[in-house]
Amino acid sequence: MSQTRREFLKSSAAASAAVAMGLPISQTVAAAAKEAEADWQWDKGVCRFCGTGCGIMLATKDGRVVATKGDPDAPVNRGLNCIKGYFNGKILYGKDRLTQPLLRMKNGKFDKQGQFQAVSWKRAFDEMEGQFRKTYNELGPHGVAIFGSGQYTIPEGYAAAKLMKAGFRSNNIDPNARHCMASAVVGFIQTFGIDEPAGNYDDIEYTDTVVTWGANMAECHPILWARVSDRRLSDDNVKVINLTTSSNQTSDIADEEIVFKPGTDLAIWNYLAREAIKRDAVNHDFVKKHCVFATGPYDIGYGMRGTSKYAYAAEKDTQARELEITLDKDEAIAQRKTAGEKVKQNHRSKAMKHWLISFEEFKKGVEPYTLDFVAQLSKGDQDESLQSHKQKLQALADVYLQKNRKVISFWTMGMNQHYRGSWVNEQAYMLHLLLGKQAQPGSGAFSLTGQPSACGTAREVGTFAHRLPADLVVFNPKHRARSEQLWKLPAKTLNPKVGSHITKIMRDLEDGKVKWAWVQVNNPFQATANANHWLKAARKMDNFIICSDPYPTISGKVADLILPTAMIFEKWGLYGNAERRTQAWRQQTNPPGEAMGDVWQILEFAKRFKLKDVWGDSAVPGLKAAGFEDGKLASVLADAEKMGYSPEDNLYDVLFATQENRKVSWPDNSVSKGHANHIAEKLADGWFPEKAMFNEYRQFGVGHQHDLAEFDTYYRDDVRGLRWPVVNGKETRWRFNEKYDPYVKKGEGISFYGKALKALPSGNLDGVTDKNKTKLAGKAKIFFRPYAAPPEQPDENYDLWMSTGRVLEHWHTGTMTQRVPELHRAVPNAQLFMHPDDAEKRGMVRNDVAVVESRRGKFKALIETQGRNSPPKGYTFIAFFDEAAFVNKVCLDATCPMSKETDFKKAAVKVYKA
Amino acid sequence: MKKTSLNRREFLTRTAQRGALVASGGLLWAYLLQQQAQATATAIRPPGALAEADFNASCIKCGQCVRACPYDTLKLAPVGDTAAIGTPYFTPREVPCYMCEDIPCKQACPTGALTPQLSRINDSRMGLAVIDIENCLSWQGLRCEICHRECPVQGKAISVEHHPRKLSKHAMFVPLVHSEACTGCGICEKACPTDEAAIRVVPPDLVQGKIGSHYRLGWKNEAGITKDFKPAAKIKSPDDQPAGGLDYLNKGEL
Repeated sequence: MSQTRREFLKSSAAASAAVAMGLPISQTVAAAAKEAEADWQWDKGVCRFCGTGCGIMLATKDGRVVATKGDPDAPVNRGLNCIKGYFNGKILYGKDRLTQPLLRMKNGKFDKQGQFQAVSWKRAFDEMEGQFRKTYNELGPHGVAIFGSGQYTIPEGYAAAKLMKAGFRSNNIDPNARHCMASAVVGFIQTFGIDEPAGNYDDIEYTDTVVTWGANMAECHPILWARVSDRRLSDDNVKVINLTTSSNQTSDIADEEIVFKPGTDLAIWNYLAREAIKRDAVNHDFVKKHCVFATGPYDIGYGMRGTSKYAYAAEKDTQARELEITLDKDEAIAQRKTAGEKVKQNHRSKAMKHWLISFEEFKKGVEPYTLDFVAQLSKGDQDESLQSHKQKLQALADVYLQKNRKVISFWTMGMNQHYRGSWVNEQAYMLHLLLGKQAQPGSGAFSLTGQPSACGTAREVGTFAHRLPADLVVFNPKHRARSEQLWKLPAKTLNPKVGSHITKIMRDLEDGKVKWAWVQVNNPFQATANANHWLKAARKMDNFIICSDPYPTISGKVADLILPTAMIFEKWGLYGNAERRTQAWRQQTNPPGEAMGDVWQILEFAKRFKLKDVWGDSAVPGLKAAGFEDGKLASVLADAEKMGYSPEDNLYDVLFATQENRKVSWPDNSVSKGHANHIAEKLADGWFPEKAMFNEYRQFGVGHQHDLAEFDTYYRDDVRGLRWPVVNGKETRWRFNEKYDPYVKKGEGISFYGKALKALPSGNLDGVTDKNKTKLAGKAKIFFRPYAAPPEQPDENYDLWMSTGRVLEHWHTGTMTQRVPELHRAVPNAQLFMHPDDAEKRGMVRNDVAVVESRRGKFKALIETQGRNSPPKGYTFIAFFDEAAFVNKVCLDATCPMSKETDFKKAAVKVYKA
Repeated sequence: MKKTSLNRREFLTRTAQRGALVASGGLLWAYLLQQQAQATATAIRPPGALAEADFNASCIKCGQCVRACPYDTLKLAPVGDTAAIGTPYFTPREVPCYMCEDIPCKQACPTGALTPQLSRINDSRMGLAVIDIENCLSWQGLRCEICHRECPVQGKAISVEHHPRKLSKHAMFVPLVHSEACTGCGICEKACPTDEAAIRVVPPDLVQGKIGSHYRLGWKNEAGITKDFKPAAKIKSPDDQPAGGLDYLNKGEL
């Protein structure tokens, strides 16, 4: 067991000599090499990257991660990893890891125009606190903001949200997950009244049909796609259909590829619904028992600014469409109106409004979506014949409507990052519910997430501007009251005004409404569309930006203070993946230098504020809620004193190191097994923050349809994550289905028991006719949503579509994967994929440097006319990982007006030789 | 037959040695030798040959191994070959190594260029067989698998897996080479029935990859969760170490 270092070196030298001699490694040498690994210490963990949530195992030695492997016991991946997952062990060791706080300084003082210099943590927090107080006192709780993340661990997201919402009384915390699945959330809440998928990954093995809609799963959910591919290969009855705007690798195993014009997925879903009715494939029994029909206003804008004040001259025509559009001929047909009609966008702030309609009205809504209409509208490849496209749409209808065929629809960013993302998500449920193919093994509309804990943290913990844990929302007085009770806060501590969504935080920086912002676990200044505005706002406006990151990024570069941050395996954490599976890991090594985990940063910052600093009277412009004076949060200090708090108590003690939480002790003898916890040890208060906070957090969901197991359960050797709700120690595979879900009462069969938005007025396709609300307990809504045209489309000046997304090799903005030399060597640059004829027309060939320019900005990139993506003519794609090809300078910051999720897929650009 | 070939072999040996003598008067020999040694190592060496650079340094081009080979497998490299002049190699498609149990070539080597450490011929690694699956008949579904049946380390160096064949209701019997057992003898290459061999022996370095030392295959590596984890002492970077990333952060445009 205990081999000396010299013996180890000798044995490994012997091993390499044996290979060099053209001899096999003899058994003794092999045994010696194996013994060298004998003091490796293994533990379970989770992959750092996508929403698939693969389990991994990590080996450490002398405080370093020396190896990883796919966890053979993890049900998601059974020992496999993709090529990003293969490098989990290397992302910690990039050469430029940040190890000290860095502050912009001039002559020994903070200066916004100064250069970054290393400072102590104390100096860093002093400046951060001073700047916070200045802004908080000037602008109130909504003058400060946190850019949060779908890559937060659960305790991190919980600590950040609690500090902001309960401590600072601010709802200005919003995650990058807004950019990734907010439309999915709106779809879930409006349709089912509860967030997240009914099904789980086992659906893949049960289904007969997989239809992907705007989801390049082959690259973006690589291990899940391996499961889909295996299902396809093992049964000839299984069909795979890929709907996409650009031919990609997901088509490789598909039986059919349908290339459609950006935005026309809205029309294709309605064609399918119309076919279901026409061919009498509607499951009337299911629909009558479990569903109602609904619709909402169409004139809801595009989530852009309502003013042209900040727009560059070139941007003004696109921006103007936010307030008024002229219907084109297709929209006119799709919305039963007249082409050329000018439509003011009157429901921009009431986009979420919806009401019940009859099945007859629903039929009227989908009636215009004939095969002829939808085929001509949606054909995405000008080189394909209309006939061929029509046949494909019919074949698509055939598989959905075939009576006993099970179907899973998977989608990700193509449907979520969409100017009508919430609508198109609802349309997926529309079809599955009409057919009764939902919430059953092998059948269902399944929204995949992109990030490792977009579900587990951003959504479930509620690190959004409008959310509280377990689907509670800040604008609901009962939800606030329940949160205040669980958090032991005086009544009316929580702010009822929804804060700024992540793109709005950027806009707030630009117009001076936010002057203090903290970036956590993401890189928003590279990842937010229309970036030129935000880069300038960060550097030129009077504000203070803090960036917590393990590595230097664009967001660090525009920040004023950078905090060196621990990475995944340097801290305790839990993530929740796309199938509701919560998975946990322990700290494996200490962070380098002075780097510290986000939880510690948040808790340490909390220590600097007393209740009297933050729980007094404060102004919140625009606040309007029952029981609150307009524009104001009243002091809760008197009530706090009645509860036993003193105005001198600090937020660390009141919110985090509570009496209850301090009972959860560190050192820990329940789950730590000897693993360190650099945060608990640095706090040195004898408590175990991650465990205490998790167990506090889970109280929100237990008995409320969101049950998580106890912290310790997830750390058991025999557990590889559990799919919530976990009731009586048992996970739930299919929600809403009596056979699997303990929340469905005996005899109900199916119950869509989610509680949100379950009382609605009634009306017709044009509006409400009866304001009396009907209760909809147990029902799901089948929405009619029309086709609407994208707010920006190619024209004579900007004549190509540009879409952005990911490649298999790199994660998001490349902060981690670009620091893995092997991945950088494999894919050093983001390339602009375009049709070879489009390149030739512009006098370019493959590998030429091109300028890609939109109304908002430009960047340079290499042209690729062959390879993994084959766009149709008129369409280009480029990944956003590469800061040298700064894609988001070009992207349009239009969002789904309901979800506020940016449409990164549809910018109009011109491309010319550099 | 045997006699003729011995003569032929002697002739070749002597030719090569004579070539060496003729050239050794001047710099040419040294120059050629240097060039040859630097050339890509593509030659298949006798069993037990040291790694290419060490082998070139140790082999004195005496031809003893060639003389000892009972099958006329080994030859000495002529001028202009990819192997250094006068060093032994073989061409499997012509005559493979028949893997004599007593390894006479190695025994004949006076310098250890063919290492005396090699005691079992099955442990030798002369090369590695690779299959061109586009032209391998078995990979098309034909029932060939000659390489598998002829392999002297049968079942270990070359195995056959049964794959479904999409085009018909017949399974394919596809041969796969396993480097942990393949000696590189080349009997498969010699036996391969296609016009140009679809299985060939090459030096392993030319074709073999290596999985990163930071990764283990989860279904092969058996280590489970360590029960009594011992945390490492906290290693802090020295205080005088400059903060990472400052150049990037302080310089350049956005």
